[in-house]
Amino acid sequence: MFRYLRRNTSLVVGIVLLGILVIFMVVGALMVDTSNAQPLSVPALQAPSWDYPFGTDRQGRDLLAVMVAGTPLTLRIGFIAGILGVGIGAVLAFTAAYYGGIVDTVIRSIADIGLTIPGLLVLIIIAVSLKGSLTVDQMAIVVASLAWLSPTRTIRSQVLTLRGRGYVEIARLNGMSGPEIIFGELMPNLLPYLAATLVSSVSAAILASVGLEVLGLGPVEAPDLGMTLYWVFFNAAIINGWWWWWTAPLVVIVLVFLGLFFLTVGLDEIANPRLRRAV
Amino acid sequence: MTGLALPRRDVFKAGLATGAAAMLPAGIAAAQQTTIPRNQTLILIKNGGRDGRWVDYALWNPYSIGSNHQNGPNIICEPLAYYSAFADKWYMWLAESYQFTPDFRQLTIKTRQGVKWSDGTPFSAEDVAYTFNALRDLGPKVKWGVDVNQALDEATVTDPNTVVLKFKIPSPRFFFFVTYKYDIGVYIVPKHIFQGQDWTSFKHFDIGKGWPVTTGPWKVVDATLSQKIFERRDAWWAAEQKLAPMPQIRRSIWLPNTGEQQTAQAMITNESDTAYDMLPASFPTMFRGNPKIITHTGQKPPYGYVDWWPLSLYVNNEMAPFDNRNVRWALSYYIDRNQIVEVGFLGASQVSALPMPPYKPLLPYFDAVKDLLAKYNTLEFDPKKGDALLTDAGFRKQNGKWTGPDGKPLTLEIISAPLGTFGPAIGPVVSEMLRRHGVEASLTLPPDFNDRFQKGQYAGSIYGHGGSIREPYDTLRLYQGKSIAVPGAHLVNFSRWKNPDFDKIVDEVYVTDPQNVEKLKDLFHAAMEIWLPDLPDIQLVQNHHRIPMNTTYWKNWPTADNPYINGASWHLTFPLVMWNLQPA
Amino acid sequence: MHAIYIVRRFLVFLVIVWLAATLNFFLPKLSGQDPVRTKLLEEASLGGYVHAGIEDMVKVYQKRFGLDKPLWRQYLTYIDDVAHGDLNYSIANYPRTVVGMIGEALPWTVGLLGLTTLFSFAAGTVLGALLAWPGAPRWMRWLMPPLWALHAIPFFLLGLVLMWLFAFQFQWLPIFGGYSAGANPALTWTFVFDILRHAVLPALSIVLVSVGGWALAMRGMMVTTMGEDYVTFAEAKGLRSSTIFTRYCMRNAILPQTTGLALALGTILSGAVLVEAIFGYPGIGALLFQAIEENDFFLIQGIVFTVIVALGFATFLLDICYPWLDPRISYHRT
Repeated sequence: MFRYLRRNTSLVVGIVLLGILVIFMVVGALMVDTSNAQPLSVPALQAPSWDYPFGTDRQGRDLLAVMVAGTPLTLRIGFIAGILGVGIGAVLAFTAAYYGGIVDTVIRSIADIGLTIPGLLVLIIIAVSLKGSLTVDQMAIVVASLAWLSPTRTIRSQVLTLRGRGYVEIARLNGMSGPEIIFGELMPNLLPYLAATLVSSVSAAILASVGLEVLGLGPVEAPDLGMTLYWVFFNAAIINGWWWWWTAPLVVIVLVFLGLFFLTVGLDEIANPRLRRAV
Repeated sequence: MTGLALPRRDVFKAGLATGAAAMLPAGIAAAQQTTIPRNQTLILIKNGGRDGRWVDYALWNPYSIGSNHQNGPNIICEPLAYYSAFADKWYMWLAESYQFTPDFRQLTIKTRQGVKWSDGTPFSAEDVAYTFNALRDLGPKVKWGVDVNQALDEATVTDPNTVVLKFKIPSPRFFFFVTYKYDIGVYIVPKHIFQGQDWTSFKHFDIGKGWPVTTGPWKVVDATLSQKIFERRDAWWAAEQKLAPMPQIRRSIWLPNTGEQQTAQAMITNESDTAYDMLPASFPTMFRGNPKIITHTGQKPPYGYVDWWPLSLYVNNEMAPFDNRNVRWALSYYIDRNQIVEVGFLGASQVSALPMPPYKPLLPYFDAVKDLLAKYNTLEFDPKKGDALLTDAGFRKQNGKWTGPDGKPLTLEIISAPLGTFGPAIGPVVSEMLRRHGVEASLTLPPDFNDRFQKGQYAGSIYGHGGSIREPYDTLRLYQGKSIAVPGAHLVNFSRWKNPDFDKIVDEVYVTDPQNVEKLKDLFHAAMEIWLPDLPDIQLVQNHHRIPMNTTYWKNWPTADNPYINGASWHLTFPLVMWNLQPA
Repeated sequence: MHAIYIVRRFLVFLVIVWLAATLNFFLPKLSGQDPVRTKLLEEASLGGYVHAGIEDMVKVYQKRFGLDKPLWRQYLTYIDDVAHGDLNYSIANYPRTVVGMIGEALPWTVGLLGLTTLFSFAAGTVLGALLAWPGAPRWMRWLMPPLWALHAIPFFLLGLVLMWLFAFQFQWLPIFGGYSAGANPALTWTFVFDILRHAVLPALSIVLVSVGGWALAMRGMMVTTMGEDYVTFAEAKGLRSSTIFTRYCMRNAILPQTTGLALALGTILSGAVLVEAIFGYPGIGALLFQAIEENDFFLIQGIVFTVIVALGFATFLLDICYPWLDPRISYHRT
């Protein structure tokens, strides 16, 4: 195990980066008063100091508390949307790949066509069309509405390569039913691959949600990372020299994306050892 | 290129420009006018353009659909009169005088003699009568049409300088309505040009023909996606008749907004002389970059003047539990308005006790209710009093949260406009203050805010009051029962509060001569005696216009020390600023 | 065979256009919002005053925008209009048309995105190939970690950092917009120079991020290709290593890279929308941001539709080019 990890550096880097984040969130939740992530809690617009290591924003939020309270919210959006996306995608992909024929054609065409459409734009139309502002969970569902496209496509092609393998043929000859083959034979072999797809879907969902929030289409009062950036832009923090306001969310977001990216690469390597030389 | 008289930062670029000018296509080069030095040019950045472009550059008929007087027609179309609320001063303009009959059913307007349109046609009472009758006939199709249609029966010309307006209903405020102040006032158009045109689509733009035609001192010499350029006309009736000095500005360039940062930068580098309503935080940045920049209040907060539009926390008076005055007062006691000023506006604001601005002509009315305000202090922050009121109303506090007699938690969803500076700036602060005292408040900025607010599909909201600026009628009308659900953004009873006795007083105010201040004061006191104990909406802070003004090339800007008018370049009164500015 | 393949691809393109138009039409309807009324009330609240006739005005406008007809009629009219390239008027900027406004913004985006995408694709491909080449200088290995890190950052966040660094701290470059306020948009050197200065930061934030992505993908492809038998065979034949590198490895690795380009266009564009929005760059992205702020449904729809069609068309072109680029892909396979 240890020796394997030494070879799969991407996986290690990913786990370490995400580990730092988790430690930050857990220790932060224990040490930091997250009620300070609400307005009027601390003096406004303080540069980082001993009392406020990350500084404070214009509405009097402690940015350290905002990060501690907001990072899990952002991850939550990502995970809800990612899990929904991969779940739906996997079901569609297995159905398509296993049954083939017209079912496959329809599902594949929808996914292919859907993927040529820039997702953020469709999400913008959806978000604008919804009445009122969104909550964090509704935000996740909006993002999930397109998050299944990419998993469907990639999982389907993966299942197709497996379907032709000998052991699947043997299972079929033994009289196993479709679902039995899918869950008994195909799934276990695809688990690492599904995990990699999940992680990259989570990353894509976070990217989409942060994008929507920066455009002002997110939950106004949630202290998550995207909304923090929205306030940064709304208050023209750059030209006014409040550098600490955007530094904290920036660092956290970069950590999130880097961690998820390396984790995906590492998991891909487990799923497909042939790639190992490539990365 | 050089004809624009824009500052070039270095000789190198200027050289390039001159070289390039030789290669310009004839069409572009022809549009350039004679060279006018920068210190005789007034450059301003306006909020009217979208995304750095003028979308209405070809629309010089302020009544056409899509045009906006804020973007230029405000200095082209002269009014019957100007009114400065800051100086409480009238400037009779195309009208020399006016006279109502005692029952306010007829208005006689005398127009000026010796006024000519820029194409040489004399201006006369015919133009005024034509404008009003056309507005009456067009009704809802054009701006002001409905207002004129509701009041006016017929405008007739009795001699070339007299027009008589017969009303359907007593209309004591009609002349004030047509007078230019802020964004309200009727534009008088030339009959010989507009007759036979479809007002909703007529553009009134053809520089070759000398259109737009105007009685004012400015002519449009260029209007494109990127700029609108005006030049001074040297024949202006008002200067000849000594009503106003001839403007010192020879050319004015109006640029569309490309963003807060860009505008701040342009102010700092003297590429612009004034701009639009900017965020409080941008001002210290601009002062640091260019000490010659001032605001209405110099370089001190609030960096601007009080707009006519005080902000409130509205609650829907038709919705339980906010139909209970104790609940409304409790919310008021939970709000620390100084914190809204300090945090929401970075100190650049002030609290507001009544839903109208503290303008000079309105001050007597504030004085008139001093005794009531002492008893019902709408600015008081005292959570204990709030707690007591809620307890009286049958609420109980458990785990720091209020629960109603029905066992439901006390929730308040506050909505506000996503566009504009007030909702996002103070909304989170207000909702957090209420949460701290056990009210489950939340804030959303829905895209269809205006629609929901107007239809009463809301519990709480942060919004302003488009009411009085000179006498109390308009503000009182905001709370009349019959103003509920009147469509529109101003003069509407958003709080949906109703009181028949209050309504009767307001009806009496309507038929009272606006000049009869003593009687109005008594009526106002009587109305407030009903209004204040009920507190239909929770008073918060004044709304400010924070406009940067650059003294590098121009001085005598309107300021708190010299408040001849408000300084907004988008308002109908901006011509006053333009003829008052002096070269620095 | 060619013809059938191309026709089939074109049909897919038409389906995309139809889907985009339909989605565009029905999604906003689901919400039950009345864009015209919302717009008029909003204008009124900004303009300071509106008369009591707004209900009548809403009706006048709705008729003008065709919103007073039954839904199916509206849909047919809409599809018909779209087929004729008419995307209606902008509600917030009436009487400007959506097509006109997009027409003004499109050159900015095409210019910025076209150049940055081509440049980062080319640079990333070469860099990625070099990274995989054993003969490359050692210091190039140190490029990997920063490339990976940059690749994982959203465009607009890098833009934020660049903006702070070069526009605010050092003040070398303008902070906002496509050209200076008051500059005269004419074909002059000053203006061209001004445009270029404004384009540097948005372009950099796109290029820096995407170069990393292309380089990583190319490197992966190269490593795989270098393991192929024909490369070993070429080595055995004693060909010069630079020949093997360019003729054998790069040429084969570049094909899947091109496929990736087609798939990436949508993602790049989504990211660029945000870059334009934060830099106030007068392209499609900034226009969309404005339209969102102003709740201008028709303009939002028009932009989304245009972008989807443009991307669909680009994909269509790339699709019919592949078989020509790569003889191994036959027209039959799809």
